[in-house]
Amino acid sequence: MNETHLAALWSQLGPDARRRARIETRLFEWLDASETSLAGEWLDLLKVEPVRGLALAAAGALSLGLMTPVGWIMALVLG
Amino acid sequence: MIASAVTATPFPAPWPSSLLKALSTLFGADLEPLDEPAVLELIEQARAGDRAARQRLYRQHVNRVFRTVRGLLRTDAEAEDVTQDAMFTALTSLGRYSPRSGTPFAAWLTTIAVNTARRRFRRRRPELTATGELPDVPAVDTDVGDDIDSARQRAALLRAVAKLEPREREIVSLRYGAELNAAEIAAQLRMEAANVRKILERVRARLGERIDALMKSTGVSA
Repeated sequence: MNETHLAALWSQLGPDARRRARIETRLFEWLDASETSLAGEWLDLLKVEPVRGLALAAAGALSLGLMTPVGWIMALVLG
Repeated sequence: MIASAVTATPFPAPWPSSLLKALSTLFGADLEPLDEPAVLELIEQARAGDRAARQRLYRQHVNRVFRTVRGLLRTDAEAEDVTQDAMFTALTSLGRYSPRSGTPFAAWLTTIAVNTARRRFRRRRPELTATGELPDVPAVDTDVGDDIDSARQRAALLRAVAKLEPREREIVSLRYGAELNAAEIAAQLRMEAANVRKILERVRARLGERIDALMKSTGVSA
């Protein structure tokens, strides 16, 4: 088997159009996700689902507000 | 006046080539390979955050990366995952690529792809972690939609490659999948170029014999 023949045979190992498109879609979803800031994610959520987004933001703020004094007290007790 | 208007009209490009290019781009591949300066320009644009440049870099190199790792892995699905991981790593690490080192972008990218394939085996095959080597007999899968003859040729090639030693498999994948020359393969695997050439010659003969035997057994000419 010569160089050209093996190269031609090896070219058949390439991905088909469907697989190539699938890789591209997933890859660019990952890239977009890796580059979106947390604030951007929240803004997108508010745009898509305003009620659920506000509810989640409120729950987050409430848990921060409650957990911070609990943390101080625990630190005082344990310290 | 009419004559100048006629001569000013650009001659239309032949439609089959533009149609082929459009179809190829639609299905996620660049028809014409770019030369190294054009690739470097794309890298600069991609570093500056140009999404289209990143997409073109992906489309220029996806076939090469897939073909390289396919010779190292057991299935098309694994090759798909590794291609995706490797392209992600490369596109998010473009700042680390330096053309001044003399390494072409394709060689840098295939180094990432081969390392990603090796890591996959370290995770999946713990018995091989000491050397990070690849398994001896990967399974072969084929797409249902493939033409039967080319699917058999593809399967025969994969079976023949699977019987090679791990180092031989890497060398042959880098030569025919990544289209690197002996010097580039030698630099990547830290070997002598003469040694790479010798191994390639030996492996080519062995692959030829095995593929011929497999084709004869299935009644297809290679």
